[in-house]
Amino acid sequence: MGGVSFGRVAFIALVIAIFTFVIAPLLTIIWASFFVDKILTFPPTGYTLSWYARAWDLEEFANGFLMSLKIGACATVASLAIGVPAALAIERYPFPGRETVRQFLLSPMYVPAIVAGAAVYIYFIEVEILTNFQLAATFTGLVIAHTLVALPWTLRLVCASLLSANVVSEEAARSLGANALQTFFYVTLPIIRPGMIAAAMFSFIASFSDLEKSLFLVGPGKTTLPIAIINYLEWNLDPTISAVATVQIVIIAAALIISDRFVKLGKAF
Amino acid sequence: MAGSRNGGEARNWGGTALVVPALVLVAAFLLAPLALILRYSFDKYDPVKLMLGVFSFGNYVQAVADPYYRKVLLTTAEIAGLSTAIVMLLAFPVAYYISRVESQRLRGWLIILTMLPLLLGNAVRSAAWMVVMGSKGVANSIFLGIGLVEEPIKILYTPTAVVIALVSVLLPFAIITLQAVMDSIPTSLEEAGQSLGHSPLRTVFEVVLPLSMPGVVAASAICFALAMNAYATPVLIGGPTMKMMGPVVYEQIAKANNWPVGSTLAWILMAVTLVLTVLSTRFLSRKHF
Repeated sequence: MGGVSFGRVAFIALVIAIFTFVIAPLLTIIWASFFVDKILTFPPTGYTLSWYARAWDLEEFANGFLMSLKIGACATVASLAIGVPAALAIERYPFPGRETVRQFLLSPMYVPAIVAGAAVYIYFIEVEILTNFQLAATFTGLVIAHTLVALPWTLRLVCASLLSANVVSEEAARSLGANALQTFFYVTLPIIRPGMIAAAMFSFIASFSDLEKSLFLVGPGKTTLPIAIINYLEWNLDPTISAVATVQIVIIAAALIISDRFVKLGKAF
Repeated sequence: MAGSRNGGEARNWGGTALVVPALVLVAAFLLAPLALILRYSFDKYDPVKLMLGVFSFGNYVQAVADPYYRKVLLTTAEIAGLSTAIVMLLAFPVAYYISRVESQRLRGWLIILTMLPLLLGNAVRSAAWMVVMGSKGVANSIFLGIGLVEEPIKILYTPTAVVIALVSVLLPFAIITLQAVMDSIPTSLEEAGQSLGHSPLRTVFEVVLPLSMPGVVAASAICFALAMNAYATPVLIGGPTMKMMGPVVYEQIAKANNWPVGSTLAWILMAVTLVLTVLSTRFLSRKHF
């Protein structure tokens, strides 16, 4: 008995230690956002909330935050508008080669972000040379790139919820004379709504936290929050950055918890 | 419903057409750009004209033969390999715990806890490690406090720091991948092992480990590919002297305007990632039993 329970305790201690290793830095940066001292010192001499106000006063962070919110919202809407019909086609209207199509549409998730970012940047510049239409360093360009980041999440989560939904009720609606649109809006949509909410949340998270794809595409006055963070970090390390990081952590954690209410993440992955 | 056969087919194609916008988006803004830089990777850089419009393998030869690029490539592979090995050692027990935990509630929370750092993005995670590893950071305060060191040691801007930070970036991917494979191993096999009188540890090594090998291979491939492509961690945690592929791709394309060499390095990353992704999907789709 003694040997077995010792092994069990050691095992659980190891698991806790590994989780601590991943989570502790994040808790530390949240903690550090309340320090009085401008130069980070542990332990602090006192606590304050003023770094949050200072972060908001710095143009790059306020603008970056608003820009990331706007891009995230637009990319989420775009990825739902494009992704939900695509998921419907794949799960409800079988066609030859649909597995290849599915993999192709999920591929933005697998292409290295830095490679895709570089490629899209060069492509945008070539498009601009050909058509005089500027995409690099514009809001539109960033939204296009972020829609691509979000699309695989939308597709995955909506496909999963279409797959688990019962086809019978859709067929029943059709046989009662509902057309395809009516069936979608009155039958399919309510069934897949939880999946769509989770898809929206994950699309937003993927866009909001993206660094590598935006790296090449930002420009003066068109900077996202993660880019503002790394630019600031190049020269400074003070509680301001901790406050900004904490805001991002809170927003993403909130989105994650909301989506968990609709789709049990423990089962989705 | 007269003529429903014809109507049905027409509707079917209408349904299939719903996939077109997504196809166009991915083709126009991922496939085409990748094809474009594949072409440019065979071009030649010119300081005045930027590109000469030629076709040669010169950049690929340079990427391997030139001491600077070779060092970048080797450093990247070394750091990625080391981080992956450590990640697999750490991910295995955690994945096993999550996959065997009885309470579904706890399991759900553990998965959220695993996913959260993954979703925060690399900017925030690097910032967090900088606060921990800085000369006046938490780690040094603790080391000084317990008298382990006399003066702050340099952790940030070393290869060790990059490996530590990368391990924390990759762990969630490995845990989720491994845990999914372990879920498919019936617990009855472990019970059989234990009923033969084997210790739990021995059962893990003789039953769980061999059966999770496809997951181990797949997760290693994914982690290695992600580590090769890392950008934020080498730049922020490694500092300017830490030359890895991701930052060098950015430098060449965005700063030096050397699109041919930048595209070549990008496509080397792309090729490595493609091979490893295919490898990992092969291993994961293989029937375990």
